[in-house]
Formats: sequence, structure tokens, C-alpha cells
Amino acid sequence: MACVRTVGAVGAGLSLARGPDVREPVFATGRLSRELEELQYSLGEGPCVDAVQHDEAVLVADISAPDSRHRWPMFAPAAAELNVRGILAIPVRVGAAHLGVLELYWLTADPVDLEKLADALAYADALLMLALDKRGGVSPDLNGAGDGVGDGGLAEWRAEVHQATGMVSVQLGVGVTEALIRLRAYAYIHDRRLMDVAADVVARRLRFAPNGEAEGDSGGGTSLPDGPHHNGGSEASPSTDIDTEGEV
Amino acid sequence: MSVGDPRIRDAFIELADTLVADYDLIDFLHVLTLRTVELLDVTACGLLVADHRGVLNLVAASSEQMRLLELFQLQNAEGPCLDSFNTQSPVQCPDLSKVGDRWPHFAPRAIETGYIAVQALPMRLRESTIGAVNLFNDTVGVLDPEAIALGQALADIATIGILQERAIRRQEEIVAQLQGALNSRVLIEQAKGVLAERLDVSVDHSFGLLRDYSRDGNHKLRDVAADVVGGRLHLTARPPRERGHKATDPDNP
Repeated sequence: MACVRTVGAVGAGLSLARGPDVREPVFATGRLSRELEELQYSLGEGPCVDAVQHDEAVLVADISAPDSRHRWPMFAPAAAELNVRGILAIPVRVGAAHLGVLELYWLTADPVDLEKLADALAYADALLMLALDKRGGVSPDLNGAGDGVGDGGLAEWRAEVHQATGMVSVQLGVGVTEALIRLRAYAYIHDRRLMDVAADVVARRLRFAPNGEAEGDSGGGTSLPDGPHHNGGSEASPSTDIDTEGEV
Repeated sequence: MSVGDPRIRDAFIELADTLVADYDLIDFLHVLTLRTVELLDVTACGLLVADHRGVLNLVAASSEQMRLLELFQLQNAEGPCLDSFNTQSPVQCPDLSKVGDRWPHFAPRAIETGYIAVQALPMRLRESTIGAVNLFNDTVGVLDPEAIALGQALADIATIGILQERAIRRQEEIVAQLQGALNSRVLIEQAKGVLAERLDVSVDHSFGLLRDYSRDGNHKLRDVAADVVGGRLHLTARPPRERGHKATDPDNP
């Protein structure tokens, strides 16, 4: 995992959300990472658990320090026993769309400086895009994830994208993660920018229907400004071939 | 506005009262933008903070009008906020029609939206800057030094509010905390979308519904947004006293 090398960590683990409160370790760089992941799941406490609960990156300078033992009375001594010192847990999410947690470990105390944190956060963003792509089935080429899908990447998503995600989740009766996947899939299939698709949804020029049809309403879809792109949803629908219950 | 203005005293008392344990950050920042608009006699106000990429993102605004939000968003590329953030000092522009090529995208859009004067004040923390406060006016002119000083005090309070308790914070912890605040804002945008669709109201309008419900029931705005997005809470567009009930009730717009 390139992330581990970049930030000089000794290991990393990634767990992805399977449901509101269910996470499952999907990736670990080695035995140590696996053990740490499993410890947190079985004990129900640890930086990873807190990162999800407080929706914030958790930095642990030294897991063997008293304040860490105070915060995680069961996990901290167990982790220290494994010679781990520094830990960084970063939620992989956008708004309420929680995809999982990225966790990095070091054998030295106080390992994370500003630059390493920024790198790790950037990796978390990339993982988010990968997970969305994978679940949306829109980008089988993983190397292209995050920039080749015509949505400009997380950094460029604006308020409309998030508002549209909320609207589409109601239109389809699905969660926001799923709604975001559908929006991106629609943008991808129609070769449009996610921002533009989102703006159409917010302006109610485009809506998603549970039966898989996306339609421009308001005036029957004939007077849509981006005419060529909206074929009344008659061709590829936003949910075509996208079964998001699939594996991540 | 003058320093003797009792509204200033009241605003600071209100803000200080809010900054108690486990406060509602997003609501706190929203109140701060409202008071800033009143006290400085400006038309609109927004708070932008930098994420880990150094990109400025909106966390709170005095109005949720889409056109205004777009103006704030535009400033992750250019504009007074970005300049203020980069130079760590106030930026004053009394007349956007006379700025030439300084902000080729931002200036025309701001004028089109109805704003002619703009100010930005850095949100400082010791040697670093975490973002900027953006002030818009619909009439030409600069703020007087007294107003700027008050604006800077409000900007400093916003910084304290965002970064919370601990006096000495490491840069890394600050970045992590800003990230959390920015994601709260994303969550609120998602919730606005959910409500707009469910109740057939505009996204501009749906923020008010979230906020009324959170205030009425003393819930955190962020938690209300999370419950709305998660389908655990269905709000209706009824008057405040009857508004909102738990998800056992069918959605009834």
C-alpha cells in the first residue's frame, strides 16, 4: 500500500462500512495491523471506533502514554503490548456517507507531522473515491479513480453535489452513499460533470426514479438547457447494471 | 454601530454563553454570522476555513441563498477570502466594479448577485491562519476602523469556537478538527437536499427547518442533519411548535 510508505508507517488497515453500525476489516498490511483491527472490533473501543463516532481523524501520539490508557483502558495496553506507539485513524466519508476507516500504525511515538497527516488525509479521499467507484461499477480501472470520472474529485465538489445527493436519496428511497454512487454513475454514463448533473437535480430539471429511469421533468424535458445530454433518460439509466450491494 | 452599542454587549454575551461544554458548533457559527451582519451593518457574511489541501470551504453563512453560497465557493480559486487567507491580513474592497483584473471570475459574479463592496478578515490562530470571514455589502464603501476591529474580534471568536477548549493545540490536531467541522457542513447540505425533496421546498428554505427543529428541541444542528439524512427523523413544514416528530410517524409534508 503506497500510503504506508509515503507516511512512513509500519502498517495500515482499512475497514469498510457494511451498514450503519457494521464495519468489516477488508484490508491489512500484515499480522500486526490485523491484530490491532481485530482488537478494536472485539473490545469495541479504540481510535478507529472513535474516528467513526466523532466523525473526525484521531491522532494518537503514543498509545502507551497515560492519557491513551485513560481513553481506551482495554485497547491501549493491548496495543502497547504489540509494540505499537503512534496511531492515526481517519474516517473515509463524505457527509453522512460513511464508507469506512483508514488506520495507520507506527512503532515510534509522535510520528505524525502536518505533512504526513495531509498525505494520509489525501489517501483517505482517494480511498473514498475508489470505494464509490467500485460500488458504482463505473471505473474498473482503479488507477483512474478520483480524477478520470469527470467529477473533478472530492476537492471540487460543492454544495450542490451534497444537496443533490440528499435529494436523490429521497427520490430513490436509498441511503446517501447509494445516492452519491448513482449520481456519479449517471454523470459517468452520460459523460457529464458531476457538478452539472447535481445542479440539474437541485434545479429540479432532472430526477431519479426507483425504476431506473432518470427523467428531466418541468416541461417534458424538451426545453432542457443541456439538451444533448438529457435524452429523457431513455438510454442508459442511472441504475443500469449497478448493484451497489456488491463487494467493495 | 459604535462600541457603546448595547447590541455588541448582548452579542458577545450570547456567543460566550453558547461556548459551554459540548456546544453546537454549526449553530454557533451560524449565529455568529447573523450577529456579524447586524453589528457591522453588512448585507451578508460567511465563514470559510481551509481543509487539509489548503482549499477554502464554507462552514457557515448568514443566508443559505444558493447564489450567495456560490460566491463563497468560488473563492477556493480567487477572491478576497483567498487573498486574506494567504496574506493573513484584512482585505478591503469598497467597489468591486473598480478592481480591474484582480478577481476576473469573482468580481462580476458578486456584482451580478447584488454585492458591490466586499471585505475579508483572516481567522488567525497564533502564527497561522485557519480561514477567513467574508463580508458583503450592497452599497459602495469600506468599513470604518472600529467596525473592522469588531469584525476581527468576531473572527477571533469564530476561530476559538472551531478549535475549542485546549489552549495549546498542535497543528495536526487543528487540521483534524477543521476536517470534522467541514464534514458537518457537507452533512447539512445533504440534509437540506433530503428535506427539499421530501417537503418540496427549496434547498435555501430547508436550512431554516433544520435550524428551527434543532433550536426548539435543543438538539445539535449536526445531529438533526444526521437523523434527517439517516431517515430517523422526518420534519414537516408545519409551524415550529408542531414541527418535527420522530420517524414512527409517516412523512407528512
